[in-house]
Amino acid sequence: MSADPEISVKNLNLWFGNFQALKNISIDIPKNAVTALIGPSGCGKSTFIKTLDRMNDLVDNVKFTGEVTYKGRNILDSDTDVVELRKEIGMVFQKPNPFPKSIFDNVAYGPRVHGVRKKTNLNEVVERSLKAAALWDEVKDRLSESALRLSGGQQQRLCIARLLAVEPEVLLMDEPASALDPIATAKIEDLIYDLKKDYTIIIVTHNMQQAARVSSRTAFFLLGECIEYASTIDLFERPEDKRTEDYVTGKFG
Amino acid sequence: MPRTRYVRKLKELRQDVIDMGAITSQSVQDALAALETSNTALAEHVIANDDKIDNFDRKIEAQCMTLLALEQPMAKDLRVIATSLKMITDLERIGDFTVDIAEEIVTMAKPIRIPISASKFNELVADVKSMVADSIETYAQGNVERARTFEARDDRIDFLYKDIVGSMINALAQGKCSTETVSDVASLLYIIRYLERIADHAVNIGNRVCYMEEGERRYLK
Repeated sequence: MSADPEISVKNLNLWFGNFQALKNISIDIPKNAVTALIGPSGCGKSTFIKTLDRMNDLVDNVKFTGEVTYKGRNILDSDTDVVELRKEIGMVFQKPNPFPKSIFDNVAYGPRVHGVRKKTNLNEVVERSLKAAALWDEVKDRLSESALRLSGGQQQRLCIARLLAVEPEVLLMDEPASALDPIATAKIEDLIYDLKKDYTIIIVTHNMQQAARVSSRTAFFLLGECIEYASTIDLFERPEDKRTEDYVTGKFG
Repeated sequence: MPRTRYVRKLKELRQDVIDMGAITSQSVQDALAALETSNTALAEHVIANDDKIDNFDRKIEAQCMTLLALEQPMAKDLRVIATSLKMITDLERIGDFTVDIAEEIVTMAKPIRIPISASKFNELVADVKSMVADSIETYAQGNVERARTFEARDDRIDFLYKDIVGSMINALAQGKCSTETVSDVASLLYIIRYLERIADHAVNIGNRVCYMEEGERRYLK
């Protein structure tokens, strides 16, 4: 792995009230690569990526210890500007969640919030982002239509375009294709593959073949612990831990 | 345990590979017994029996492809399937070499005479027979420790092979063979070569078992 990780997580523990959801996680996320997180429901993988853009702050009684170093700073520090952080580390969710606005306004939303007002600048950002999300050709003639009229797969790519419009560096994807059909899934996977040239991507997925296809490193989570973190090929072809082996072969339990 | 049908199909696959290995190994034993006892009928039985090995080859290949296409195997399951798929080619080739040996035996004058010291020849025959039988057993048991000994055993076989061929060529050069026996000596040279190749396939099987069990890739030098 590269000596210079984009995000370095050290001894991360997280509690919701008395329940410890993450236990002593230490992993380095490589830059400009796709890292996949796999594991059964409730193992902590979504909680883990939500820690990386401080989304867990929105949950009551959350408490965490440890370090998440990004750009030389511990983003868990209380003085972190979470709005600025979420501009740099953005999230795509399981279900596409476009705003009930036009396609154009969805993508322009972020830049407007961050102060871009000029129409020509906005046009440029919207086109660039939709192109990067592989959606431009399908929507360029209907930008003023409601985003809610797009198909599920298009909506998900719109959400990715909306994210790219604020020029993040890290993309967190929480099961971005699990609500989509195989064709739309393939488009998202192709997109992920293209995006990794410019972005650091962390993807949570229940689809192990998807993890195997798109990522270069994979972490297996179980009951809040990171059991194994290795190159994707090693993890799927010759996992070291028996629990990883049982999970990836579908013989868990 | 979930995926019971899948687990059952994997078990069936392994059993079929073991069964294919058992009949291939039996063919090797039979061919060499036919050589030792100048038994033409047994040699012909070996030739006829090759269809069974070929049928297993096709059946197991189809099983592997179905498992790969439908079950998306991972980790050790994936390695078991990949190993089985490659190993049946080794077994099928061993089967073909035993047929080649049997065909030579059928054409040779009876009783078959070995024009060199019998002890080295017998040693080569015994080593090849045990290597083949052991390779199937290491697959069945997943015995990596034993599989790792195959290369050293193969070195010994290669040494014997070269030594015996050298002696036979010397015998030919010194005119120790009559014109009637020259073609039988040539047949024996082929048989010895086939035995050496059979041992190489047994080493391949041992190396594949190491990969199947531990993900370690070993290649025949």
